[in-house]
Amino acid sequence: MDHLNNLNRRTLLRSLGCGFGHIAASALACSSHAADSTSELINPLHERQPHFPARAKRVIFIFMQGGPSHVDTFDYKPILAKRDGELEVFDDARVLAKTKKITKHRIFQSPWKFKQYGECGQHVSELFPHIAKQVDDLCFLKGMHTDGVAHGPATLFLHTGSINLIRPSVGSWVLYGLGSENDNLPGFVTLQPSMGNGGPRNYNNAFLPSIYQGTAIGRAGGRASDIKLKNVTNSRWTRPQQQRQLDILRRLNEQQIAKHAGTAEFDAVLNSYELAWRMQITAPDLLDLSQEPEHIQNMYGIGQKATDDFGRQCLMARRLCEAGVRFVQVNYGDNSNNPRWDQHSNLEKHAEHALNTDQPVAGLIQDLKQRGLLEDTLIWWGGEFGRTPYAQSNGTGRDHNPDGFTIFAAGAGVKPGFSFGQTDEFGHHAIQNKVHMHDWHATLLHLLGLNHEQLTFRHDGRDFRLTDVHGDVVHEIMT
Amino acid sequence: MVLFGLFVLTRPVLGQDSSQSDLTLKSEELFEKHIRPTLIEHCERCHGQKKQQSGLRLDAKEGWEVGGDSGPAIVAGDMDSLLLEAIRYEGGMDMPPKGKLPDSTIEAFEKWIQLGAFDPRVKRSNHSAAKTTTPQQVDRSFWSFQPLVTPEVPRSADTKEWATLDLDYFILDELHKNELEPAPIADRETLIRRIHYDLTGLPPSVEEITAFVNETDPNAWEKVVDQLLDQPAFGERWGRHWLDVVRFAESSGGGRTLLFPDAWKFRDYVIESFNRDTPYDQFIIEQIAGDLLTSNDHLERQRQLIATGFLLLGPTNYEMQDKDILEMDVVDEQLDTIGKSMMGMTIGCARCHDHKFDPIPTADYYALAGIFKSTLSLIHSNVSSWNKVDLPLDEKQETLIAKQEAELARLENDQKSKQNRIDELQGTLKKMKQINVDSINAVVLDDIDATREGVWKESIFIAGYVGKQYIHDENMGLGEKSVTFEDAGDAIGSYRLYISHTPGSNRASKVAVKIRHVDGETSVTINQRPPGPIHGSFTELGTFTFSEELPAKITIANQAAQDGVVIADSIVLAPVAQSIDQTFPTLASTKSPEQQQEIESLKSQIAEIEQEIKKEKQAATIRPVAMAVSESQSPGDIEIAIRGVTSQKGERVKRNVLSAAKWEPFQDLDESSSGRLELARWIADRQNPLTARVMANRIWYWMMGRGLVRSLDNFGSTGTAPSHPELLDHLATQLIEENWSVKSLIKTIALSSTYQQASSLTESSAFDSENRLYHRANRKRLRAEDIRDTLLKIGKTLDPARGGPSIKAGTKIEYDYQFESRRRSVYLPVFRNTLPEVFEVFDFADPNIQQGKRNESTVASQALWLMNHPLILDQTRNAAKALLSLELNTDKRIELAFLQTLGRFPSKLEAEIMEQLAESINDTAVGTPSNEQELDQWTMVYQTLCQSVDFLYVN
Repeated sequence: MDHLNNLNRRTLLRSLGCGFGHIAASALACSSHAADSTSELINPLHERQPHFPARAKRVIFIFMQGGPSHVDTFDYKPILAKRDGELEVFDDARVLAKTKKITKHRIFQSPWKFKQYGECGQHVSELFPHIAKQVDDLCFLKGMHTDGVAHGPATLFLHTGSINLIRPSVGSWVLYGLGSENDNLPGFVTLQPSMGNGGPRNYNNAFLPSIYQGTAIGRAGGRASDIKLKNVTNSRWTRPQQQRQLDILRRLNEQQIAKHAGTAEFDAVLNSYELAWRMQITAPDLLDLSQEPEHIQNMYGIGQKATDDFGRQCLMARRLCEAGVRFVQVNYGDNSNNPRWDQHSNLEKHAEHALNTDQPVAGLIQDLKQRGLLEDTLIWWGGEFGRTPYAQSNGTGRDHNPDGFTIFAAGAGVKPGFSFGQTDEFGHHAIQNKVHMHDWHATLLHLLGLNHEQLTFRHDGRDFRLTDVHGDVVHEIMT
Repeated sequence: MVLFGLFVLTRPVLGQDSSQSDLTLKSEELFEKHIRPTLIEHCERCHGQKKQQSGLRLDAKEGWEVGGDSGPAIVAGDMDSLLLEAIRYEGGMDMPPKGKLPDSTIEAFEKWIQLGAFDPRVKRSNHSAAKTTTPQQVDRSFWSFQPLVTPEVPRSADTKEWATLDLDYFILDELHKNELEPAPIADRETLIRRIHYDLTGLPPSVEEITAFVNETDPNAWEKVVDQLLDQPAFGERWGRHWLDVVRFAESSGGGRTLLFPDAWKFRDYVIESFNRDTPYDQFIIEQIAGDLLTSNDHLERQRQLIATGFLLLGPTNYEMQDKDILEMDVVDEQLDTIGKSMMGMTIGCARCHDHKFDPIPTADYYALAGIFKSTLSLIHSNVSSWNKVDLPLDEKQETLIAKQEAELARLENDQKSKQNRIDELQGTLKKMKQINVDSINAVVLDDIDATREGVWKESIFIAGYVGKQYIHDENMGLGEKSVTFEDAGDAIGSYRLYISHTPGSNRASKVAVKIRHVDGETSVTINQRPPGPIHGSFTELGTFTFSEELPAKITIANQAAQDGVVIADSIVLAPVAQSIDQTFPTLASTKSPEQQQEIESLKSQIAEIEQEIKKEKQAATIRPVAMAVSESQSPGDIEIAIRGVTSQKGERVKRNVLSAAKWEPFQDLDESSSGRLELARWIADRQNPLTARVMANRIWYWMMGRGLVRSLDNFGSTGTAPSHPELLDHLATQLIEENWSVKSLIKTIALSSTYQQASSLTESSAFDSENRLYHRANRKRLRAEDIRDTLLKIGKTLDPARGGPSIKAGTKIEYDYQFESRRRSVYLPVFRNTLPEVFEVFDFADPNIQQGKRNESTVASQALWLMNHPLILDQTRNAAKALLSLELNTDKRIELAFLQTLGRFPSKLEAEIMEQLAESINDTAVGTPSNEQELDQWTMVYQTLCQSVDFLYVN
């Protein structure tokens, strides 16, 4: 953290040139002025050059918590209907971890019909009618596999590349690698994250400096219409009162700093108040969706019962991206041990989750596209694992499946209308063009212009990276 | 590739009579056309010059000949070569991992190997399989492994005036060598605030400041130091330092974060140890092996047991399904924490390979790991748990508990013998293992036809089940499983329902059985521990009516909070008018009226006894437990896990200590012990140069704001070298010689001139900008706890209660926890996933990571907290209220506010600025402000002072 203190007097004086009094006139004008001349030195989150030219500048990760079933959504397996009800030997990941045995399971057909869509002819089930219309913009990875059989470990693995060890989150690594594109907002935001299955560790900085930690806005279980950034409103002082207070504080601090004869370490403190003030002015507006025209809100399904909540998250994600937030995660999850898409029984419930998210996700992709943002924004849709093609304990649901599942990407740098990798005939194991979660992490960083082997941080006397000693960049999916 | 492969297939298979040279030629052709390109494209990225996964290289002949961790990859002519197995996806080691090669390519490999596996490639660099260094090869020359020396104090004529103590001469000597001078001694206002925060974490009171500033006694400083060291607040401050070092937390964090309801006992133990000034060597022995020490009384024994909680407080993912890996992960975390916290060594690296930078071979790691694998830390279940032990109590309580236990045992015996007599009279089912479905004169729904949700295990282990088996939930997947009995055929109308189970002490005591009937759904709870009251198997559920639209449907579900195994066996639907004996004719035995009477009488006696047992249990003294380890049932050495993969066993290594340490390793262990105590004593040995150096350096850091070795937890070659190696040894030696007294070393540092320097920049600062040589005092940030505690103190709401449980009673999960307590911050619960906001924002130690050094960030979220958080708004308002209750003029008020918050008097200019603030807040106010306006003014004065740099830093 020493670099935080490496600030010189010159910088300080410049930054003080636009004190709180001036900010009052135009908060944002001041912010951009400060950014031009001094952000390199004053702001530890200043934008940094990637290792090589980046295809994507920012990421929106749409987290489908609980493990959506790939064989009921995007990975069409006709054999499941043909052999529905038959017993077949499968090396079930959970049974294997617990008993080291392989047992028979009942093949379970998808209750939903599949159809081909778009020019690319991608199969999509009737669960996602809106996303189906966008398939020519999407890039599917159907040979995904990952570590961790239970939700906690697999969710942590998805976010941090480790099922048990304490490691920084993907978003923290990205922020550490690239810095922030703005200087009045956090650089890594997660909207309404789940408190379960790793909770804050899924957006934590671990051993990276704390400036890289994700900022949670709201939490799962709350309403998207109520969420706000912490400590940006004051219950006691009016804005003019607080502005005067900060002016006096600046004078008091100048007195105190002068007495200590030129130590630079205080400059960061002064700067933090200025940034805080700008954040306080900017952030609430950003999350206020009433400023969006009705037709845009409709695109995301805002105002409709099923889609209102997730639609709001998705629209906020777009606004945060526009404002220069580097990594935005939207979460469709809850705080339970069997979160959202986790249909161990009653698979039919998948329909509810699909309904809640289909239009918001499609709306987000469409909206980013029409604004040109999709050109440098990477979208990643997926869960922590997929589900088994057979019924769990011969019941009405599917168990976790870390050995084969589907995610999709869209936007900056990935081939549109493309599908890569496949699972076996049942959809149980990825078999061809397999992409491990480590590989996907490496690929994501690559798209952002970062070499996953070079993006390291020294801790405990050794260099750590997101992908540990693994990860191969999947060049095949890139434009 | 595919085309080439097909081409190979069309070639005639070579006959046995082909000459050797022909074979080689064909093999060579195969190699160049198929094998080499495939190896380059699919294999060498992970098994080549750059990487050698599993120790295997395939970029030269020698690579596959020697092979990797599992032995040679290819044996010429051997059609079962490991490589073939891997590319055929047969043995579980499926290669290449991204997808199976085309069949034709696999056949090309088979042919090539059959033909002798010609390979012209020679090795370019050293093969790097997992070799382990022998202890003899370990390099022990690194500075931190050298024995402690007692360096001569570098006194010289020109140093006398400034230096107070020996340690000052070391500092001064180094400054003079660099032609620098130390800073002058700080003013008394600064000193009193500094020492109060450093020793107690609280600001001095106004009286303490004025008393010290006006004191003329030359020993006043020492008196202050002694007084503060004696305050309980000292242990609260310094105990918290140690809690940082040992990643203390009150929940497991990670996936399914579990609360540690007894962890507060460890926290109190640490605080108490610092206050008692427990010798540091004893302190660490207790934490590693307190359970193996002897004790003089029950209090000492309690401390010893609680201390070992140290080993269990880590961020463990108890939910992990592979328990072998889970156990090794816990051992790894224990070693890592011991290594870094006590010896400044990153031992964890050696789990997978010889340590790249420090002399720790993999064999050392598993020698140490064997000790902790021989220690009982975990209790396994679907979601495992940590080990707990009963704490001993004083003699009186022990006698009482013994009495209670004896009484309980007597009652239970009585109950049992009476039940036995009933069984005897009833001609019990005990000998009848299996009850035939046909022998029951009613509709029987057997488990074999029931619908199962979740995994249920079939069993015939305990007698008395209906049909060919019963099933149980293995006490796993709690809340996820159920068994539904349906298809009761023509059971329409009213029926008396019975449920059967096989009893046992491991059973669930509250199993919910749901019955759907015409009037809705009824839930009945049954206890599956005792035998069913009817013939030892059956329990009556009640009478219910079923219709054609709503036929019988009975569901047994396991519960999230189940206390044992749930059994599902059968449901019996008998006509209402039918007696028990009619329903179970073969089980009934003819009994005389006398016998029947005796049974009835026994039953009522049992009911009475059960009441007494219940009463006894309610009144019983509950024995406290602690998170603590025990010795494992079967201690022993373990094998090296190759590359850290638990299932790949290598050589077995004897339990031992780090071979890089210079003194004698410990003798062969008694096979019946884990070796923990021996390890603990070895770490705490005065000959161990690391232990005393690491702790002396920590104490220096906590006092001076920066370590002599800056990497506090890493004294290895990737850490930093000491700025003053001789001073470090001087301090370490003192620590040992003063019987490992932490307080004594703190006092020495506090009395030194070095500690008492001013923090302002001096002329020397230009040449020593990082203050590596301590030419001035380091300015220290207030910690999260200091900020909160100070605000509560000036707001006069600080709750002085010490010790005891920190988590509010009734808390089940950390999420949404409201940190409402007004006690000192050290007594707030530390959850791994949920911290008080002030902790999160102001760089509180992340309990997920062992880290002795606090981060010091300056970020906008801190400013936002200081501007807007209710805690600062409320406490400053309280402070303002108290201020206004005093009869003071504005000048005096400002002066008092400065003393409370910044520990000093205001300068003239500062006073003017604050006066302006006080006046400016109500710009509409004319004349005398109202009480409310005045309160606002002074609230803002306090808040602004608490936002200023002189509040946030200790000068």
